[in-house]
Amino acid sequence: MSQFEFLRSIPFGQYLPTASPLHQLDPRARILAYTALILALTFSVHIEGVALGLAVALIGLWLGRIPLRYALRGLVTPLPFLLILAVMQVFLHTGPAGETALFTVWLVKITPSDLMAGAILMVRFTGLILTIGLATYTISNSEMTQGLNVLFRPLAGIGIPAQDLVMMAQVTLRFLPMLAQSAERIAKAQASRGADWDSRKGNLLARMRQVTPVIVPLFLSSLHRAENMALAMDARAYGSAPERTSLVALRFGWSDALLLGFALIAGAGVLFI
Amino acid sequence: MSALITVDGVTFRYTKQGNPAAPALQDVSLEFREGEFAVILGANGSGKTTLARHLNGLLLPDSGRVLVGRLDTRERANLGLIRQRVGMVFQHPEDQIVATTVEEDVAFGPENIALPPAEIRKRVDAAIAAVGLEAHRGRPPHLLSAGQMQRLALAGVLAMRPRCVVFDEATTMLDPAGRRMALELMAELRSEGMAVMFVTHNMQEVALADRAVVLSAGRVVFDGTPRDLFRHPGLESWGLELPPVTALARRLQRFFPGVDEGVLSIEELLARLPAPTLKCPSAPGSAVSPRGDSRAVIEVQGLEHTYMAGTPLAHQALSGVDLQVTPGRAHALVGVTGSGKSTLLQHLNGLLRPQKGSVRVGELHTEDPALPTRAVTRLAGLVMQNPEMQFFEQYVGDEVAYGPRQIGIDEPIAGRVRWAMELVGLDFESFKDRFTYALSGGEKRKVALASILALKTGILLLDEPTAGLDPHSRKEILGRLKHLEDEGMVMVLSTHQMEDVADLAEDVTAFRKGRSAFDGPASEVFWQFDALREIGLEAPVAAQTAARLVELGWPVAKGVINAGQLERAIEACLEKQP
Repeated sequence: MSQFEFLRSIPFGQYLPTASPLHQLDPRARILAYTALILALTFSVHIEGVALGLAVALIGLWLGRIPLRYALRGLVTPLPFLLILAVMQVFLHTGPAGETALFTVWLVKITPSDLMAGAILMVRFTGLILTIGLATYTISNSEMTQGLNVLFRPLAGIGIPAQDLVMMAQVTLRFLPMLAQSAERIAKAQASRGADWDSRKGNLLARMRQVTPVIVPLFLSSLHRAENMALAMDARAYGSAPERTSLVALRFGWSDALLLGFALIAGAGVLFI
Repeated sequence: MSALITVDGVTFRYTKQGNPAAPALQDVSLEFREGEFAVILGANGSGKTTLARHLNGLLLPDSGRVLVGRLDTRERANLGLIRQRVGMVFQHPEDQIVATTVEEDVAFGPENIALPPAEIRKRVDAAIAAVGLEAHRGRPPHLLSAGQMQRLALAGVLAMRPRCVVFDEATTMLDPAGRRMALELMAELRSEGMAVMFVTHNMQEVALADRAVVLSAGRVVFDGTPRDLFRHPGLESWGLELPPVTALARRLQRFFPGVDEGVLSIEELLARLPAPTLKCPSAPGSAVSPRGDSRAVIEVQGLEHTYMAGTPLAHQALSGVDLQVTPGRAHALVGVTGSGKSTLLQHLNGLLRPQKGSVRVGELHTEDPALPTRAVTRLAGLVMQNPEMQFFEQYVGDEVAYGPRQIGIDEPIAGRVRWAMELVGLDFESFKDRFTYALSGGEKRKVALASILALKTGILLLDEPTAGLDPHSRKEILGRLKHLEDEGMVMVLSTHQMEDVADLAEDVTAFRKGRSAFDGPASEVFWQFDALREIGLEAPVAAQTAARLVELGWPVAKGVINAGQLERAIEACLEKQP
């Protein structure tokens, strides 16, 4: 793998058009279903609950035909932090009084409920990361835009320009891979002229020194591109009609209701098992 | 026919920090009609982009007016309709793509004018089919090739069902095949009454239009047919040149009176070549210069490369490339966009390392992961595509000095910078303190070239060195490269300008879909007409002309690829006449 493939290292935010049954559903149903699952995973307190949530996330990945290995790669970066958090949880957890200690590390007694707390944390975060990943793989930006547009429509009543905000979010998302590519090009141009990009494992200071010269040209080129994009959007009549329509007509059908129903029941299960 | 767009006495100035600059357009009056194919020409800074942006109300005239049909662009309420009628494709396609899948991006325009979903769907499907992107409708746009992105940008405009499409230097990055596709599509659209306007530097495109409008310093200095334009004495003073075919025809006129200077296409030229009236001695052997048997300075074997390897978005860019570069012989990589030329060049200075196969540059084997990239970049300097997009210093002098400062040299840096700048024809004293962003296109390209030359590498790698330049700057850059080549620089360049290759390179490797399809001396490769056409390229006009002359019975040696060689060959024949 090349040290310049910046795009490769951001698996998040990559829509994967696998044309699965999940992709065909109403984006509103997907947005609400994922939200339900995320909330349930966040607030569940039992191992059975979070495990069920994780299982539902895995079923979602399977339904969305997302390669499991690809989805799991999203876990690699946060994994060390998760482990540290889990270990801290084990040590700092205070179980119910009178529990028998399994073993003692230094002076800290480790009880079954301490271990359980660590396990719940691990499973909870794994489930959350996979669910958020699932959402980005299966909801395209414009589906997200439309879905949120409709879901946020009531906000316009209280004077919030929901449409413009959602469009801003969409253009920002479009810019992310473009930024990665620009950065890649600039880094390559600098490396071609003798800048040192080999020492990957350098300390933080060395990394900073390596990255800093990329920032200014990246900033300049982004401004330039933003200007071009605004011009192109103008030329394509953005803002000429008071209300935009959309390519995909949102139709909430039986299968959408089914997904939402399943998600709500699963969410309830995760919370109250 | 009724006027589609009327430009009536338009004057426009950009304001710089509150002060109006010299007018970018001065009293311009023009009329564009339905079904017309017009080109708008002029050197950099002549005002052609400014004019184009007036046609759909992106810019509004200071005085005078622009009417689209009967709609005045200064009326805000008209802008929605005007932008439906006049579509515009911009120079950098990646900057005009808004959505995250192909299909959704095409839908952006129709969504803005609030069409019902069923109608949007119909238009999106039709537009995607028209540009041939059906297989990519669900892909994210940033993973398309440059040519595909350009098609996507066009589809987004077509979905608006415009009456007129303006291409603002949008075909500069297209290879011959892509350009041909765009032009065919244009012909089809025009038969339905759509007007097409090209803002361009490409003189070959000019020859295809019905009408050429030339701007110079903000004024219309010519408005007429391309044929008349090419005969006009002012052509060069406006920063333009003849297209290669017309230029060649003009040089051949002294031998063949039947070939007139108004020739616009290669077919026209070939049809007018006469059979030999005199008996000429047979050809003095082949003009092919043999390849030296010295050891290759760059050697690539079985190279493969996949971007985003191991993800569902993986894309194989190279799938079996062999290359041998002999010292003293400039080597050209030719092929359509997306055939792997840029990826290969980035392997040759160590930016990318072989995933499979081997790359040797000088004595360095880059497949060794322990080999530092800097060791390779000291040996081979790479001038990347559109290098001016990657400038990161404010002043020209600092930009050129960046490389020498990074690698550390044992002479004063200023001396090295002066040397490099003068090598590309930039005066050190007058340019070192100028702002990089304020330079013209040609000057920027020279600075980019100088900033690599300042590393004093023995090998120079160039990715599309003349892309996007106006004729004058292009000629200057080619002259500088030729000079460097004569000085003994090992040169590898990628391009889809076959005419440049014919003047510059001795060896050619042709690429097709990530493979090196065939290679050899330029004089042989450019005579494989069918093989070239099959991979989407056209042989240089001189080679096509020479081949036709051989067919007619002229004793022209095979292997003629540029105008100079062709002239000498014909002269040699005529001189031997009693």
